[in-house]
Amino acid sequence: MSTQSDVILKQSLRKIEYPLCAKEALGRIVELICGRITSIKHMDLALDLMAEFIFYEVDRRGNKRPQIVTPLQELQLLEIMFEYFNSIPNEAARNSVFLSLFSGTTAMMRSGILSKLISIAVGVSSPVILLSASTWMQQLGCLSANSCKLAEALVHDYFYLIPNAKDRLKTLPDICPQFTANFLTAVAENYYLNSRKDKMFPPKILLEVITMWISENSSLCISAQQKQAALPPGAIAMEVTTPIAGLLRWCILAPLYNQESELYCHLHLALLNSILEIPQTVPAKAIYAQHTIVPISYVMYYVNDLKNQGLNSEQVLNDEKLQLALDRYAQAIQVALSMKAVYGHVDDLLNQLQHLPYNKLLNIVVNTHKRIK
Amino acid sequence: MDVDITDEEYVIQRAKHAFTISPLKAKAWMITAKTLYPNNFGVQFEAYFIEKNAGHVKEAARCFSDLIGKFQQQPELLKEIEKVTTALRAESDTNDTEKQFLCEMFKHISSDVQHKLLLCTADNCEDTMEHCRLLLLLLQRFPTAISSNGPRLVDTLISAEKHSEDGHMPTNAYRKLLVGELLPLLAHDNIIVDLSPKMLFKLLNKSIEFYLCYLGLPQTSLQESEGKMDDPWKKLFAIVEFIGNQLGWEPGLINFRNNWSKEAYWQKILNYHQTNNDEKPLLFCISIFFMLCLHDYSSSLNPESSPGQIPTTFVLVEAFNDKNLPNPVAETKGKKRKSDGEYTQPHITVENPKFKTMHNNFLMCLNCWDLINSSEILQREFPKLSANLKLDTWISNFLIDYAIYKGKYEDALTGLQQIFEPMAQLSKFIRIASVLYITKNYGSSFDAISSAIPLLPSNNLRSLSSLLITGGTQRHLHYLPLSRFSVLQYLVKILLRSIWDNLEKMNYSELSIGNIFALVQLDWPQEEELIPPLIEHIKQNGSFHYPLFQNYLVNVDILEELTYLWTQGGQITLDILPHLGSQRRIGTRGADKGAKEEIKQCIKRQIARSNENLDELLENFITLERYHIKKCLV
Repeated sequence: MSTQSDVILKQSLRKIEYPLCAKEALGRIVELICGRITSIKHMDLALDLMAEFIFYEVDRRGNKRPQIVTPLQELQLLEIMFEYFNSIPNEAARNSVFLSLFSGTTAMMRSGILSKLISIAVGVSSPVILLSASTWMQQLGCLSANSCKLAEALVHDYFYLIPNAKDRLKTLPDICPQFTANFLTAVAENYYLNSRKDKMFPPKILLEVITMWISENSSLCISAQQKQAALPPGAIAMEVTTPIAGLLRWCILAPLYNQESELYCHLHLALLNSILEIPQTVPAKAIYAQHTIVPISYVMYYVNDLKNQGLNSEQVLNDEKLQLALDRYAQAIQVALSMKAVYGHVDDLLNQLQHLPYNKLLNIVVNTHKRIK
Repeated sequence: MDVDITDEEYVIQRAKHAFTISPLKAKAWMITAKTLYPNNFGVQFEAYFIEKNAGHVKEAARCFSDLIGKFQQQPELLKEIEKVTTALRAESDTNDTEKQFLCEMFKHISSDVQHKLLLCTADNCEDTMEHCRLLLLLLQRFPTAISSNGPRLVDTLISAEKHSEDGHMPTNAYRKLLVGELLPLLAHDNIIVDLSPKMLFKLLNKSIEFYLCYLGLPQTSLQESEGKMDDPWKKLFAIVEFIGNQLGWEPGLINFRNNWSKEAYWQKILNYHQTNNDEKPLLFCISIFFMLCLHDYSSSLNPESSPGQIPTTFVLVEAFNDKNLPNPVAETKGKKRKSDGEYTQPHITVENPKFKTMHNNFLMCLNCWDLINSSEILQREFPKLSANLKLDTWISNFLIDYAIYKGKYEDALTGLQQIFEPMAQLSKFIRIASVLYITKNYGSSFDAISSAIPLLPSNNLRSLSSLLITGGTQRHLHYLPLSRFSVLQYLVKILLRSIWDNLEKMNYSELSIGNIFALVQLDWPQEEELIPPLIEHIKQNGSFHYPLFQNYLVNVDILEELTYLWTQGGQITLDILPHLGSQRRIGTRGADKGAKEEIKQCIKRQIARSNENLDELLENFITLERYHIKKCLV
């Protein structure tokens, strides 16, 4: 039930043409969400205003609009939103609005606008919007479908549409390291996983850019963990997942898929150096044991493939690609464990690693850490 | 892969092997190895070597830091540490790539570890010199370590100096470290150093001795290879300031910064002298100031010459007055000390206003010396200090000028006779001649002139000076440039006056008159007023016999005067042709027309020679006619 004042507000907004009304609506929404007294009713009104006046999803009666916004309207809307976010000085307020506009329930629906907004923020360097996007990814989960979709859209914009994005993206870690880290976590999830057979491997330029970023800044991977996000009052901060486990998976699995680019070697080293830079915390929070287990099943598929090709156990063990993958795997696990950066079931991790085909280093590593336990 | 090797060896082997294929892989292996075996020296050291050989500065620095933190006592590591410190000391040596790398690596090590590294090497060093150098390096890089390690290093250096072979030389290697490098470090602002007053005085003495050596003050041997030092005074002053501060001396006495000037400092010394009775600061400050003034005075007597010109040394001599000339511009009169009633300051001239500094520097030295001698304590203490610093020979140079200035000719002569350096002989004889002339020992003065003449410089000519004679009756001293013309001019003037002064005693001998004619030619017409009375004497005498006439008289004016006497002035006999013999006097009315003609021809010949080089003529005169000159000086 809307009160009289809500009705008056909506009516006054309806007098403004779309998408110009979005600007006015955004102002009202900030007041509703960040006002001194917030209530469910305020929140509901804010959500209504978003749906009707910003995203043009429903009409005055709350019915779903059949038509979608035209490209021109969308462009105008993006401009309004971009200007608006850049004009909110308070980080917590900005993040609150951002999280309400693209909440868990609405983000998928609004992902088109979201990704274009972030794409612009990357292109013209808006650290404040990137920081909000970073917080948004963190709160929804960097590995969530929403985050991955955003990452995919950005990769599309910057690595498929623009041929030479390297120079433009070079400084992104300086502009907003937190966003860059969360973007890396999400983007890592988009490749080297069977669930996404269509795009198994990252484009070369993406790999190059990522390698460059991490090589040049060994604390980049953990930068989202190092700064507390400014959240709306009462919100619970979600723990950020670092990109380390995901990107290590790329490096470990690359040889098995005949991805022989030297870049993987380089990225692997950059990641090891990044792990060395992780400050010790109690409890550890940088690398989740469960995430590091993922490659095991892929290695096992590969071994089965070899066996199916008729190779005997000794021939399998002598497979250079397999041994390279296992060397990298063992190196990563060793460095991560020695830095006490792994949280979760480390014992389980060590046990599962023992199921892998024999590799001397892996054997040394597992034994060493079992002994320490 | 070899199955028998240990796990450690396996990992290292993989890393080394990977290096031949891919440095990236090798690094990944190294990181793994280091984290696997954090307490295994072999593994960690190998990791360092791999990074070093690959030229990775930052990584090598990281490995090296780890090593120093964990394995300080490993001999291999100590060797490597030594390499680093050696490299640090030869930082300018750019040819050695390993050294360059190690220096670069050192910069990437945290200061904590750098500190540890240097201290560790110094402590493990058996060679004292090395030990000191390392500690010094440590202090240079870590000023925070100065208060704890500085005094210890001072002790070490002093005792090392005492036991070293060349310890008696003020510029020995330990002293260089102590004075040249350590003391400036200790003088760092805001650092508290705990040194006893006794030690501080010792350091002050050693510093003065050291820097004076560089200034070449005491003529001790300073090897050419020692080279020159930039502004040693500034460095010495900094040390005086530091030590004075430590000893709680009056700040005004030890502040040599901010537009410091000798005049202002002199006033401070005077004020201090009048109001304080702590003699130590005064003794040291005035001594150092005196040395500075002496040094400046000595330098100003040997001014730098413009490029391509021969440098000229100046020497203070007694010059001459002419009552008939106007009094010199009385610029120094204003400065005259009124209290010094009975003693009037001599007037000092310099050849060129730009050399006025000689005079000013001299007066400042004089002030110092007078002050030192006015105080009982200073008079007692200064000689000790001076003997300690071996300043005596050097001060004696000033004391000669001082004696000349004060008219203490006995002292001056004593001082001059003690000069034995070959380079100083010319100035010695000039001054001896000068002093003996003033004290009317004309014969001995001439001996000194004779000794000086062969030493005349042949390459430094310069022209004649017009400043040797000034007006008035005030005593006149002059800074004489040691050039051929100036010296000859001066010596000739002394000789001329010696003969002139003796003229009456010699009863106006013709020889004396002739010699005066010869001598007066050099600076003609400066002393032309001497000639008319002599001509008058010849007139009265009726003849002029001078056997050296043909050899030395070439001045047209004098020749004209004589010819006039001979032709129109009266019956004056000119006995100037030795071969005609004294028996055959030629008169104007003489029967021997031939002889008359001969004299005419002779005078003509002499006039034709009037453009001859007078310097050579007079040099020959003095050298060859000693007998004839000496006769006039008895």
